[in-house]
Amino acid sequence: MALAALVAACGPVEQPSGARPATKVFRYAMDQAPTTLDPVQGANIYANFVIVNAYDTLYSYKYLARPYELKPNLAADFPTIAPDGLVYTFRLKKGVRFIDDPAFPAGRGREVVAEDLIYSIKRQFDPRNQPQGAWLWQGRIAGLEEWKAAGSDYDQPVSGLRALDSHTLEIRLLRPYPQLVATLAQGFAAVVPREAVDKYGKGLGVRPVGSGPFKLVSYDTARVVMERNPNFRQEPVDLAYEGYDPATQAFSGVEAIQGRSPPFVDRLEFNFINEPSASWTSFTKGDEIQYTVLPIEQVERVLASKRPVTLRPEYADKYHIYAGLEAGFIFTAFNMDFPDFGYNPDPERERRNKALRCAIIKGYDWQGRNESWYNGLGQVFPGVIVPASPEFDPDLSLASVSRDVAGARQLLRDNGWTPRNLPKLVYGTTAGTTERLNFEQFRAWMGDIGFPREKVVQKTYANFGDISRAWKRNQLPLVAKGWGLDYPDAENTLQLFYGPNGSPGSNDANWENPEFDRLYDEAAVMQPSDERTRLYRRMNQLVIDDCVAITGLSRTRIYLWHKDVIAVPDREILGGFWLKYADVVPAKPAGLTSRAAKGT
Amino acid sequence: MEILQYALRKLLGGLPLIVGVTLVSFALMVYFGPDMTYLLLGKNPTPEQILEVRQQLGYDQPFLQRYLGFLREIVTLDFGVASTGEPVTALLAKTIPVSLILILPGFILGHVVGLLMALAAAYWRGRWLDKLIMAVAVTGMSISFLIVIIGFQIVLSSSDGLDLFPVRGWNSTSLGSYLTYVTVPTLATMFVALGYETRFYRSIIVEEMSRDHVRTARAFGLPESRIFFRNILKNCLIPIITRIMFSIPQVAIGGALLIESYFGIPGVGKATYEAIITGDQPVLKAVVSLTAILFVLVVVLTDILYRAVDPRVTIE
Repeated sequence: MALAALVAACGPVEQPSGARPATKVFRYAMDQAPTTLDPVQGANIYANFVIVNAYDTLYSYKYLARPYELKPNLAADFPTIAPDGLVYTFRLKKGVRFIDDPAFPAGRGREVVAEDLIYSIKRQFDPRNQPQGAWLWQGRIAGLEEWKAAGSDYDQPVSGLRALDSHTLEIRLLRPYPQLVATLAQGFAAVVPREAVDKYGKGLGVRPVGSGPFKLVSYDTARVVMERNPNFRQEPVDLAYEGYDPATQAFSGVEAIQGRSPPFVDRLEFNFINEPSASWTSFTKGDEIQYTVLPIEQVERVLASKRPVTLRPEYADKYHIYAGLEAGFIFTAFNMDFPDFGYNPDPERERRNKALRCAIIKGYDWQGRNESWYNGLGQVFPGVIVPASPEFDPDLSLASVSRDVAGARQLLRDNGWTPRNLPKLVYGTTAGTTERLNFEQFRAWMGDIGFPREKVVQKTYANFGDISRAWKRNQLPLVAKGWGLDYPDAENTLQLFYGPNGSPGSNDANWENPEFDRLYDEAAVMQPSDERTRLYRRMNQLVIDDCVAITGLSRTRIYLWHKDVIAVPDREILGGFWLKYADVVPAKPAGLTSRAAKGT
Repeated sequence: MEILQYALRKLLGGLPLIVGVTLVSFALMVYFGPDMTYLLLGKNPTPEQILEVRQQLGYDQPFLQRYLGFLREIVTLDFGVASTGEPVTALLAKTIPVSLILILPGFILGHVVGLLMALAAAYWRGRWLDKLIMAVAVTGMSISFLIVIIGFQIVLSSSDGLDLFPVRGWNSTSLGSYLTYVTVPTLATMFVALGYETRFYRSIIVEEMSRDHVRTARAFGLPESRIFFRNILKNCLIPIITRIMFSIPQVAIGGALLIESYFGIPGVGKATYEAIITGDQPVLKAVVSLTAILFVLVVVLTDILYRAVDPRVTIE
């Protein structure tokens, strides 16, 4: 009785999950929960997936175009740019409204105007918000730093942000910033109404009030549930404009959305499942989650071949598959502030240190890592310009990612390195079995080139926050990490080695190369062009030549989704923007074959 | 009245315990716990921005000031705002009931069935039934909880198994849907709990059965059932109460992390786990302090129950 009473008291904690829905429901799965839904702190991919569906950004990416291409979203078109590249003028679409919410007078959402965008960017420069997106515009947009220094008063103007009228925004820059438009396609730039912030304060993190395609129904540690925003603007899909390629994308049935206005599902669920076995069992059950990233332990069981990636027949009958290279990479940087193998007051020792770093790079087995951890599906590449960047050079020599144990040993011998005088390598990781195995593999490779076992040691940290602290405080000699592109531009990975970005900035290597920095400064103000690509590639070569990082590998993720879902999933640059285009084919009477099921 | 006075006295006596537990746990959190600073910073932060975030989080304040603030939060039950932006009290009010109704069936059934199995095993000690029950108990104890959960999911919920229940999710809007979602987690919890409970209860019952007063009762020719319930089971109540009572704080506040995580249930266990991972100190502080308070309450309640079941126990 007591239990029954408690059950009743708990009330509508959650909506049913497993029952066959009467409405169109897409049950998406992510391997982590977002920490907040407030764009001001929407730093990780999980938060961004939800944020860009609850809020509007000025720009987004074309649904199907690869390489990724920007397109106007809340903006009416691309901005007009002054000849000096310092003034951008944006026009907003008219008639776009925020969702109805008690934050607004009479609970009715008002129209989105240029001032809302100004307000949203200002929030990133208000320390009270603990903002995480200020780096996008810091030192770029005129007046923001001064506004912050004057106390972040929202009633005070920012010289570089001006609403020319209700639907026209002018942004003035301190120096040309070719990536500006791309920054306005990020969750950080989502348009937030001031009324909602005034009413909910920090509570906005669990109660988004935006003008995006969906609105929030519930949010907890297990799930976010959203429903279609009934007032979302009508914008019929033009597949050709979105970059549709029938040769590679027809299998998904995506032609069915041509001419229709998104969003197509009534209800969108984000299920947070960080246990691969639970995710797989739920996915294969049939009436629960409809999308998953293929768990690595299921690869052999599910795939008929890896190149190309195809499913075994029993799975191909039920699921679609798509293998996508990540827009990012994993690498290990040498922290040059450690004199044992980095900068050293003694020029001779510094010369020997470079040889040591180059020998370690030669001893590193990227192919082995790819086979061990990524089923051989990742792409090993030299340098720091990742394959997903438009500036990637497919013809670059693979020498820096090809294992050469004999060459490494020779290099060490030639430069006076012996097992006795080799320095200790401290390999920092978060605590965990995978990380331990990663380290042991690294230690074995270093052993092959002559490092005594006791000179390669692991230092563990409880969580990502703690190891980040060690990186930022310049405490770790070897920085092994992954990096995801914020926008499809090699500048985003090259800045990882830009001298002024040293600790606590993102240049964990604390590498300072005057030529690299000069080229970076030169390229940073250039619009995309062959000349800029040439500069990027030259910088990439400098990183390789100076043996400043063991790099790199882009992982391949394999997405699976049920055949009643019409979609081409992505979790890279496009991120959560694709979810508004996802459609679900209603269940058909027995004996009929769904259109989507005819795909591969 | 006497009991009330005793309870109040014990509660006051528990205050140093609460202060001690909160002080130790707070010191651990401050000096060894996760640091949110670097999770909240954007890319390429300046030293000034790092300082700003540390100030926002209160990390720059002296330890004593922070601890006093923590005590104030406990007294007012206002633990501030979680990293999601949700007030911690609202988060706990939302998640604790979910964990309670998730864990309670397995908790109750685990103890009741465990006790019944222990009684049977002890009664037929050394016989085949005893050996069978102990074999089941040892099996339950030996298998990792993780394996048990995955096994039950596959057997009862997956399309490769019986496909009787949902793999994940939670719905307590009606008794029917509640039973649908709670069954597999309950069975998994029970399977593991049974092993520990049965072995524990069997050992105390067997010990009690071998006492002189039981032998004397048998010599007097009293019926076995009467001996069992009045002379054996009643005397076992003290350790039984102790075991059950001290499990309560874990059930109420700790939730069941693995269960909630694998079954996608938004309880306090999962919320606590997320807080540990992200370094969400307001949530961690709330969970630690509430657990400490609940332990003190349980100690008091347990002492009162001792008195109820055994008149020899004085409350002086």
